[in-house]
Amino acid sequence: MQNLILYSLSNFIPETILVVTIIVCIIADLIIRKKSFAVTFVAIVGLVLSFVFVVKQWGLSMSIFSGMLAIDNYAVFFKLLFIISTLFILLFVETSKEMKTASHKNEHVYLILSLTTGAYLMASSVNLIMMYISLEMVSLTSYILAGYLKKDKRSTEAAIKYIIYGAASSGIMLYGMTLIYGYTATMNINEIFLYLSKNPITDTPVLLASVIMISAGFGYKISSVPFHFWTPDVYEGAPIPITAFLAVTSSAAGFSVLVRFFLVGFANTEIITAVKWQEVIIVFSIASMIIGNFVAVWQTSLKRLLAYSSIAQSGYILLGLAVVNSAGLFAVILYLSAYLFMNLGAFYVTILIHNKLGTDNMDEMDGLGYRSPFIGVTMAVFMFSLAGIPATVGFIGKFYIFSALINTNSPNLTWLAVVGLLNSVVSLFFYVKVLKHMFLNKPEKPLPELDYGYANILITLLLAVPTILFGLYFTPLLRLAENSIKIFGLN
Amino acid sequence: MIDIQYFLILSAVLFSIGVIGVLVRRNAIVIFMCIELMLNSVNLSLITFSSFFSNYYGQIFVFFIMTVAAAEAAVGLAIIISIYRNKESINVDEINILKW
Amino acid sequence: MEQLSKILYENILTILIFIPIIFSLPLLFLKKQSEKFIKIYSLLLSLIVFIFSLFLFLKFNPDVEGYQFIVKYKWISFLNADYHIGIDGISLLLIMLTTFTIPLSILISWQSVNKRIKLYYFMILILEGSLIGVFSSLDLLLFYVFWEFILIPMYFMIGIWGSEERVYAAVKFFLYTMIGSVLLIIGVIWLVYSCMEKDMFLNAENALRKFTLDITQLDKISPFLQPQRQILLFLLFTIGFLIKIPLFPFHTWLPDAHVQAPTAGSVILAALLLKMGTYGLLRFSVPLFPVAFLTLTPYLAVLAVVGIIYGALVSIVQKDMKKLVAFSSVSHMGFIVLGITALTQEAVQGSVIQMVNHGLSTGALFMLVGMLYERRHTKEIAQFGGIAKVMPVYAGIFLVVSLSSIGLPGLNGFIGEFLILLGAFGSQNLKSIYYSVFSATGVILSAVYLLWMYQRVFTGPVDKDENKNLKDIGKIELACLIPVLIFIVWIGVRPNTFLHKSEKSVNKIILQFKNAEIINKTRNTIDINNSVFREEK
Repeated sequence: MQNLILYSLSNFIPETILVVTIIVCIIADLIIRKKSFAVTFVAIVGLVLSFVFVVKQWGLSMSIFSGMLAIDNYAVFFKLLFIISTLFILLFVETSKEMKTASHKNEHVYLILSLTTGAYLMASSVNLIMMYISLEMVSLTSYILAGYLKKDKRSTEAAIKYIIYGAASSGIMLYGMTLIYGYTATMNINEIFLYLSKNPITDTPVLLASVIMISAGFGYKISSVPFHFWTPDVYEGAPIPITAFLAVTSSAAGFSVLVRFFLVGFANTEIITAVKWQEVIIVFSIASMIIGNFVAVWQTSLKRLLAYSSIAQSGYILLGLAVVNSAGLFAVILYLSAYLFMNLGAFYVTILIHNKLGTDNMDEMDGLGYRSPFIGVTMAVFMFSLAGIPATVGFIGKFYIFSALINTNSPNLTWLAVVGLLNSVVSLFFYVKVLKHMFLNKPEKPLPELDYGYANILITLLLAVPTILFGLYFTPLLRLAENSIKIFGLN
Repeated sequence: MIDIQYFLILSAVLFSIGVIGVLVRRNAIVIFMCIELMLNSVNLSLITFSSFFSNYYGQIFVFFIMTVAAAEAAVGLAIIISIYRNKESINVDEINILKW
Repeated sequence: MEQLSKILYENILTILIFIPIIFSLPLLFLKKQSEKFIKIYSLLLSLIVFIFSLFLFLKFNPDVEGYQFIVKYKWISFLNADYHIGIDGISLLLIMLTTFTIPLSILISWQSVNKRIKLYYFMILILEGSLIGVFSSLDLLLFYVFWEFILIPMYFMIGIWGSEERVYAAVKFFLYTMIGSVLLIIGVIWLVYSCMEKDMFLNAENALRKFTLDITQLDKISPFLQPQRQILLFLLFTIGFLIKIPLFPFHTWLPDAHVQAPTAGSVILAALLLKMGTYGLLRFSVPLFPVAFLTLTPYLAVLAVVGIIYGALVSIVQKDMKKLVAFSSVSHMGFIVLGITALTQEAVQGSVIQMVNHGLSTGALFMLVGMLYERRHTKEIAQFGGIAKVMPVYAGIFLVVSLSSIGLPGLNGFIGEFLILLGAFGSQNLKSIYYSVFSATGVILSAVYLLWMYQRVFTGPVDKDENKNLKDIGKIELACLIPVLIFIVWIGVRPNTFLHKSEKSVNKIILQFKNAEIINKTRNTIDINNSVFREEK
């Protein structure tokens, strides 16, 4: 018993490092007592250390803590993604003026780290209990982060809307989990799969209901329709670095657990025909794409526009899941890596604009592309990437998603590819609208040029260069994705 | 020995009351109480299943749900306090700077 | 030295694609004040590209069938997508047209474009690089990347430097062409997977064994796909091309884009971007899906004829000169599509040379209208009259270009249209002479709208005061027009210089088509036999 725990702990080092870092950050914050880069620096060191140990886990395949967590390449991929995005978010916070107005000192650092820890656990959990706890760990910290500017009405409003939706949907998810437990008498998804594939499925309505209810919990994390109602409000109200964090890390974590839940627990032709969860995912995905893209067209706030764009993007990623084969999963992984760079980039440019203009209303951005050509050009890169134009990494993601759909021999899914692609034409309209404001519209009166410091430019380039580079030469991403999905053993 | 169905039906009824409460009530604190009701109905059915299968997963889950629910309530109440300070109201209909 | 020239020779296409793209980047970092330097730099750059392309033109061997100057490097090993480029005669002529037009469009903007010139010349140059890329890609993914990339600079060119309604026109242009591109990418992916499915072929050995995007491999296989699948794929590919051409009824974006774009934008759009559509049709739609092409020929040809007549009729009633030229494009592009559907040696050769002709004459017409617009700030025909007296040289050039567009013997337009009509007349593929009879009215109508416009603008008394003091054509403007005039006459008198280059390539496409047709006919009979056999069982 003791040996087992020690063995598990020795494979739990990345998470342990993060927890220790959190404690060190809290102590440092108590000692320093004013806003300081030192705490962020400690966090960065902790993340880098954790990165090293995560990389060491590459290639392992085991389960620890008596089947609670899995260590495999899939989890490692997501952990790397979380570390990179968290590092960027910490830098975003440092360069955002909005976060400086907060009355807190350095609390955001360890809140952000706790969220990352939760996300780590989400990526590797293979047990319903663990899934719930890690999901809540991510949720609770993100509620606090959304309301981080406690004197700002919008921020607190975002927090309360977030927590009401979040708590209600996790309650619904829990009820779904009890139904599965009642049906299979186990909480481990591998055992659930064994049970379902060995015994004939009798009560399909119960299983279908439980699957839909569980999707409510995960769907709210990835902001997929119909669990998306919080997204625009929270994205608009929360400080922008936090919005970026929610849009990338938290939703990637949601995908990691959603994909594992369905593809480990339910990926079997008999189960799919009996439970019909594939149809559920397809419906969610189409609804997300259509609502996300069409509502985004009318937005005037850049943050709200990006919120609807995230809803639409999660629709595209769900398409990859709906294929239920390795090509689809491959595309999901690829899309998420693309999503990391382009979405973080789009949000960072928004932060930079907000720093100077104090607003994210697009009408005030007229002629911004000329006031700061750098901002204009990088924003164009990110927008074109989100829209999926070639020579950017976003195109690669979309390309693989749609080729997975087309290559299934099932006419329904080819039809889905057409829906998805037509949606991406609509999405172009609003992505280009941002650029239209920046380049084509003339401001009413001539405005001064905007200058940005080297730090800002460097961070933007760190995101913009991979967006283009991986769009032209993406073999490394492909190798990473190929190795990450091997454990699922899909055909 | 009481039949297992009665527990499950009670749990389902409690859960539905909770869901309806979340949808209908406008006071943030009452909404939180309804969410709590949902969680407790889940606890009830977990314990029922656990004793029915005579395995302990369900009971362990219940402990975690209770803990997490407490944490959630703490965070939720803190957020409610901060919104009350800003707006002097906790009616969710009046919380509307951002379009719902 | 010898080695250097060898490297140069082997990589000439890569050089042509990347010189404008890479060397345009420094423009972005120049100071705003150095306007003159920016202009001269970009002009020189485009002239260097033109000189390199002359080298390409001279070294191109017209007697070789298939692609030349092939370069192939591994690009993305997962997809077996390569950096694979090469040209045949058709691409050669279009690349020459590109490298020839770009310096002219830089010259024409010399005085008329004054805002954000760094960005402006940058856009033109990367447009040049990607256009050459489109015309020389032999890999579908590479082709798609260049094809899509062209949208971005063009969108900005219309949107930033256009006239009043520019934003609307830019967005409309972008969305229309994007819909086409989206269908194209579905088509590309589906094509490759279809070629890998064994039951798509009668003879399973035909199927591709591994994923590839190389069209030189795909066009050996995809002609034997099942006809129904071919038709779907053909539509996915072709609708995108038809929007770009634009064939009636997909043409509605064109007048807006042309009227709003700056002069150089209109020139590039008319001379080069529209050719991407017809090039795609000839390079992909016809060789890859012969059966589908055969089935859908009547529809395409009808659309082409309707486009020819509709475009001409609408041109007649235009009050705006630029719009008139824009609609005349719809009519002329209809001829090119008709020539492709006829699929005879003469007709396709005519289409190829007509692509060049249309680029020259319509490009020149847009330049001429742009010059008048700069002087008077209006393009309305009614505002002019008797201009010939004030600007004799200008009027003379305008007349020559108009006549070339109409198709006067001795000038370039005649060669193309004559070959197309001749080919369409005797085409087995079209099976009817009425197509060429009806489209011949297009030639007459084009004389009507162009000469009528000429009459209203240039002849008669000078009755408007504003028109009395118009300056005649300047040196720079003359420098833009003289090269075009030279080629207008050259092609008109000695078309063989150019026709000779594309002869083998056109032959090859037609031969491929014929072979596939024969094989598919035998397959149909086998299919029928098989089904009879099964029923007996």
